[in-house]
Amino acid sequence: MHTRKFLFKSSFRLTILLLAMLVLLPNIVVAQSDTFTYWGGLIFSDEANSMFEARIKEWGEMKGIPVEVVMINQNETVQRVSAAIEAGTLPDALDLGWGFMLLLSQNDQLVALNDLYTEIGDAHGGWLDSINSLMTSDEFGGSIYGVPYAASGMNVLYRRYDVLSAAGFEDAPATWEEAADQSRAAQSPPETYGMGFALSNVGDGNLTTVMLQSWGGRIADDTGTTCTIDSDETRAFLEWITTAFSDGLFPPGATTWDGAGDNTAYQAGNALFIANPGSVYLNMKDNDPELLEASRFSGLPGGPVMRLVPVDTVIRSIPTTTSPDKQALAADLFQFLADDEFMAAYMNAAIYGPAMQSQVDFPVFTESPVHVGLLDGALNGTPAGFPDVNNAAYAEYGTNFLTPRMIQRIAVDGISIDDAIAETQQACQDIYDKYNTQ
Amino acid sequence: MFYRVSLPQKFVYYMLLVIMALVILFPIYYMVIVSLKLPKDIYRTPSLLPINATLKNYIDLFAKDDFFINIRNSLVVASLSTIVSVFFSCLASYSLVRLRYRLRDWIGRLILFTYLTPSALLFIPLSVIIAQLQLGNKLHGLIFVYLTFAAPLSTWLMMGYFKGIPVDLEEQAMVDGATRFQAFYKILLPLAVPGLIAVSVFTFTSAWNELLYGLIFITSPDLQTVPVAISYLITGDVFRYGLIMAASVAAAAPVMILYYLSQRFVVQGLSAGAVKG
Repeated sequence: MHTRKFLFKSSFRLTILLLAMLVLLPNIVVAQSDTFTYWGGLIFSDEANSMFEARIKEWGEMKGIPVEVVMINQNETVQRVSAAIEAGTLPDALDLGWGFMLLLSQNDQLVALNDLYTEIGDAHGGWLDSINSLMTSDEFGGSIYGVPYAASGMNVLYRRYDVLSAAGFEDAPATWEEAADQSRAAQSPPETYGMGFALSNVGDGNLTTVMLQSWGGRIADDTGTTCTIDSDETRAFLEWITTAFSDGLFPPGATTWDGAGDNTAYQAGNALFIANPGSVYLNMKDNDPELLEASRFSGLPGGPVMRLVPVDTVIRSIPTTTSPDKQALAADLFQFLADDEFMAAYMNAAIYGPAMQSQVDFPVFTESPVHVGLLDGALNGTPAGFPDVNNAAYAEYGTNFLTPRMIQRIAVDGISIDDAIAETQQACQDIYDKYNTQ
Repeated sequence: MFYRVSLPQKFVYYMLLVIMALVILFPIYYMVIVSLKLPKDIYRTPSLLPINATLKNYIDLFAKDDFFINIRNSLVVASLSTIVSVFFSCLASYSLVRLRYRLRDWIGRLILFTYLTPSALLFIPLSVIIAQLQLGNKLHGLIFVYLTFAAPLSTWLMMGYFKGIPVDLEEQAMVDGATRFQAFYKILLPLAVPGLIAVSVFTFTSAWNELLYGLIFITSPDLQTVPVAISYLITGDVFRYGLIMAASVAAAAPVMILYYLSQRFVVQGLSAGAVKG
């Protein structure tokens, strides 16, 4: 018994000792309480990321305050911020996408910045209509929860001009149906397939929702409460896209691609068309000038009813956990970051469209073919979700990838168009009902 | 008992082993080949041969992206997690296997259940704990978090191994005047060395490969572990395959060496635990 007690006691003491050592190890402390912490959105361009970090550090030196800039991979923002909210470790300011800003604002996690938004907009010739309509959406109840710094998410149509022109197609397709027709005539499977658009459960797959809407289909009614997928317009769209799939216009695997499937197909020379915001352009510029030379860029095609180029935006926000002093510092920093000279250089390296009038005249929007498309999208595009109401239910419809799933059910599982529509209508309504009762 | 194997049988056995080796080694081969290619060649000339082979990806990775720092961080985190976890698990598993007290079996089962809890469910409560202890964005905070899965795994494996060692040996030592603690570290632990090595290797590998907690609890690039640094090579919809594969080769090398050096103990240790546990 004595030895067992000794063992217990020894174990207990050693446990305490080790725990104490663990906690008291020399900390590699990065953030101090007086440090201003900014979580920036990491993007594809290293040059743009470096410029952004340097700019904030320059501001910190000017103000004489320690600054920590943490570049968060945009693919992981939601997990990072969710954990930080629970732990109470949100930064003093951060970059967000519009959808996540909506979610956080509805949970009282962000400071309303109406005055700052107006002030920065006025200082730069005013906000573009597409951006302003996103920021002042009814969903925010009159408050503005951030300061946009660029238009994002606009897809540009990339096409293989060398292959298409050889088949007699000099001009970009004006409609999706034309794109399919050009693909049918110019493609040469298995080397090349025309329609390099994802039909899988990834963000790119939601381009099919935009297509559906350009056919006149709608996800929900104007009140944003009742799903309206079951319509003749949806049937017509599904008829077209599943026929294109069965005709072999989509590369094999398009229904299971990951987020980079379309990019990879285009850069491998296997796809004649893709829709991409600009990362593929930057990649080709650095690594494959021949393919870039053989490519042309244009706005997204339209459907039989309308042409849609959804515009999203990236935003700088301040969490409610930030102290009043640091909120004032963050406001000052946002103004510093909005400087036109800096933004002109930043956008030259990044793949964003303008958010304010003063940015429209940046040289990159006339010099770079992809940026021309991004400018067109920012000026003439439609707010993300249009003509649907871009509310939380619509966002969840997108994150569940219900449109690409509906296509997969017909194209891969072989069920009828009517059955696929009925299934999706029900799944969609279940989502909307969840929010209708809140 | 040994049987004489005929030539045709030998041929079949070797063929099967070669096929198996090819299946297992192909992904590693492909990883190495892609790591030696430029982005254009990866996309435009897919080939299983190292056409236009270059070390550019490795140079960029180590010279530009400071990947050595990520390897150092992973080594620190995985090694310390392993040491602390194996230390505690030895004491815990000895207690659960050799000592008699109430709820002992339940405690053993609870430890296993802790290990089986998905990490995705734990990251929010762990975030709260880490923030309260002010261990966020610190390597030893990450070590503390890794113990939540490493210690239960080690304990469970060590329990199996300790059960396989006859209790008579310790009892004889105690009859000869050794205390229980002396019997533990002078008799039992030396006999359990293969098990300890096997458990250490598994714990080290789990900590080395862990991504989710590293992603959540470390924010500074200077403190990122290897899996987090690799995940940062994917930005948006852009996968830098050359760099990703070079980083994967560099990340796999230490674990491969570790397994190579300890493979005898790993097989021996785990099989003992598996049969008698």
